[in-house]
Amino acid sequence: MNAATTYGKISETTDRADHLWRYTPWKKIHPTGDVKEVPQINEEVKICLKNLDGTDLTEGISLQRGDRIEEKMPNIDVVATSFLEAVSNNCRWVLKTKRKFYSDTPILLEIEAQGNMHALELVLDIGDMSDFEIVTVIKGKADWLGLLRTGKIGKGSNICDVTVGIQEKGVLLRLDCISLGRDANMNTGTVSSGSEKTKADLRYRMAESGSNLQVLGSILSRDEMHLDYHIEIQHDAPETFSRLVWNAACGGNSRTIGTGMLKVAKGSTGTDAAQNFHNLLLSKGAHADGIPELEVSESNVVGCGHGIANGPIDENQLFYLESRGFSKSDARSALIAAFLNSTLTKMGSSYLHTWLSKLLTSELDIMNK
Amino acid sequence: MEISQEARDVVGDYKSGWHDTENSTIRFDSGLSEKVVRDISKIKNEPEWMTEVRVKAYRHFAEREMPTWGNMSMLEQIDFENVCYYLRSSSATENDWDEVPEEIRNTFERLGIPEAEQKWLSGVTAQYESEAVYHSIREDLVAQGVIFLDMDSGLREYPEIVKKWFCSVIPYSDNKFSALNTAVWSGGSFIYVPKGVHVEMPVQAYFRINAKNMGQFERTLIIADEGSSIHYVEGCTAPTYSTDSLHSAVVELVALPGSHIRYSTVQNWSANVYNLVTKRGIAHKNAKIEWVDGNIGSKLTMKYPSVILKGEGSHAEVISVAYSGNGQHQDAGAKIHHLASNTTSKILSKSISKDGGRGSYRGMVTVSPKAENCKLNVVCDALILDDESRSDTYPTMEVANPTARCEHEASVSKVSDDQLFYLMSRGHSEEEALALIVNGFFEPFTRELPMEYAVELNKLMALEMEGSIG
Repeated sequence: MNAATTYGKISETTDRADHLWRYTPWKKIHPTGDVKEVPQINEEVKICLKNLDGTDLTEGISLQRGDRIEEKMPNIDVVATSFLEAVSNNCRWVLKTKRKFYSDTPILLEIEAQGNMHALELVLDIGDMSDFEIVTVIKGKADWLGLLRTGKIGKGSNICDVTVGIQEKGVLLRLDCISLGRDANMNTGTVSSGSEKTKADLRYRMAESGSNLQVLGSILSRDEMHLDYHIEIQHDAPETFSRLVWNAACGGNSRTIGTGMLKVAKGSTGTDAAQNFHNLLLSKGAHADGIPELEVSESNVVGCGHGIANGPIDENQLFYLESRGFSKSDARSALIAAFLNSTLTKMGSSYLHTWLSKLLTSELDIMNK
Repeated sequence: MEISQEARDVVGDYKSGWHDTENSTIRFDSGLSEKVVRDISKIKNEPEWMTEVRVKAYRHFAEREMPTWGNMSMLEQIDFENVCYYLRSSSATENDWDEVPEEIRNTFERLGIPEAEQKWLSGVTAQYESEAVYHSIREDLVAQGVIFLDMDSGLREYPEIVKKWFCSVIPYSDNKFSALNTAVWSGGSFIYVPKGVHVEMPVQAYFRINAKNMGQFERTLIIADEGSSIHYVEGCTAPTYSTDSLHSAVVELVALPGSHIRYSTVQNWSANVYNLVTKRGIAHKNAKIEWVDGNIGSKLTMKYPSVILKGEGSHAEVISVAYSGNGQHQDAGAKIHHLASNTTSKILSKSISKDGGRGSYRGMVTVSPKAENCKLNVVCDALILDDESRSDTYPTMEVANPTARCEHEASVSKVSDDQLFYLMSRGHSEEEALALIVNGFFEPFTRELPMEYAVELNKLMALEMEGSIG
């Protein structure tokens, strides 16, 4: 059955009781609002792979058209996934690294979309024992962009993977569906302050023993933005470790949503998993929602937990900075930056961190204007 | 902690699992229709407005879909046509214990109700099947104007008060099971505490299902007037049958300014009872509502005690524990809505899953845009005792005011080997050590219960933990 047929059969089944669709119903994300429609997309996005510092790419990494890897994938949400498969029209790129690929310079993958509607699928085929950092920057002025990332992180690899969303407008539908091999170590970060509306469904599967995952978010929402992130981590093997730390600062009349699902399957002994959502509310009209969920079917775990905390900027911290000569607005900006920086610092090397910090500072400046 | 063989023979797996011969004076045929609803109302000789509310609720129930969340596969097994919606075993509600029919009296004596009443209760209502069979209240409280009646008597004697508050906290259209309860409710408690009156000792209701395929749909309404306080305790049991029974209660609490209501429950239904209960309170200015909720029995429990913090400075607390054994799913939690400024709330939920049981915490806290300076704290802890069991946490937090400080934390773990080792090094057997750790885990809950209930709960837990080791 092809994706369009699959989608046609299930497009009306999303339910508010399903927390994935609780705050952002599918029809609000669908390009036309008519959920039965599968629009045709003729334009392709610009996609480019290079080193972040402008130097030549190290040999052993490639970006080309290819096929999906169907290996130990996480459970997916069929509605959004089959829709993206149907509309992406075989626009599928494979980012492949050879075994033991190493790069000491972060790699930049730029995705730029202009015009009406775009969709693409990116397959990660990371060879065993690879070690590198990659930043995916999504930018442009497209009205609607869909990005489906699937793939696997090879055995023993050590990957820092940061996705930055800085589109000037429009809707972003972003789906991640990635599995981690034995002893693989993945740091995956999201830095977002773009698009008017984002719906992200990020799923990771600890498919083999010893895998280690850190999911980090630095989210800045302003104006009328609506940013909805669902992060699902499935522990399906023994001795696996995962941490989720999601920091969102919400200003203007924006709304940020963080829903997390941590599933520990029977037999995943020695699992150590936790997720934390922190929301900083910056204005009267800001709104933050969170549902961190746990489903644990194994008793012999190191620990499984979650937490969520919402609050305003601490008045004592503001007062302290003002007493040290900061103006009120500078003190406020510094505290927001520090809040978002606490996750940003864990996303990669100091070089990558400096680059991400500059980006975040410029976004904060826009908000303060 | 050792349970003697003799005691084990008496209690079996479920301590309250015996049943009396069914000696009903009125038993409706199984199944639900508008006629059944009207007949219940007619038997009770209710005013016209109540009949109309029941009929509207029935129509809503018939049209409303089953919830699409929770344990849907278990919910789908409920056969509403195989449930008896009204069964009366006693022709009247007695005030003298000796007047209660002997078999029913024996049941409650085995459950320890008369003894408890003499020792430490301000009042008692005992409900057997659909109707209250015994009711009493201390005379000094009556003199102060406290009304403590079964709900049917409350409707007869104080129709204006009931009409004003009935369905005011939980409308029949709230959910499918509140609609069902409103259509076929029978029994329950009606309490009004006048301004400034503090009911020092708890009042108690005890609910017992005896018959097979029985539905118990009690309706409780508690109104605490300004500056008053009351502690209400309810206990529930049923016999063990091979076919299922349905318990679908609605509890409405109204805490007027400055008042305090504490509602404690120890639910120990047998493992063939669906326990689908809607409980909600409204707290006005500076009022306080506490739900203390223990769920040990039942096949499926779906219960989320709620508080609407409507008045400034009001406070809500929910402390709940759940034990899920073989074939059981305890889907319990709490909901708190902060609608006014300077409101505070606290939720503490503890659950234990064993022998393939499933414990779920499902909660919701919201802060509305106009509610300034709210504080809320949610803590969920779960223990899984074996490889067959499961624990879930589904908390929802919606915050629309930037001054709110909200925290939620949850953890799932196993019993610590260090704790077990320490207790065993002090001479306890492994089983005793485990029972002590479990009692300690539930301690924040048991310390909030009246002494007799806390002791009872510890005994029940010891029975449930039998055979946990090896």
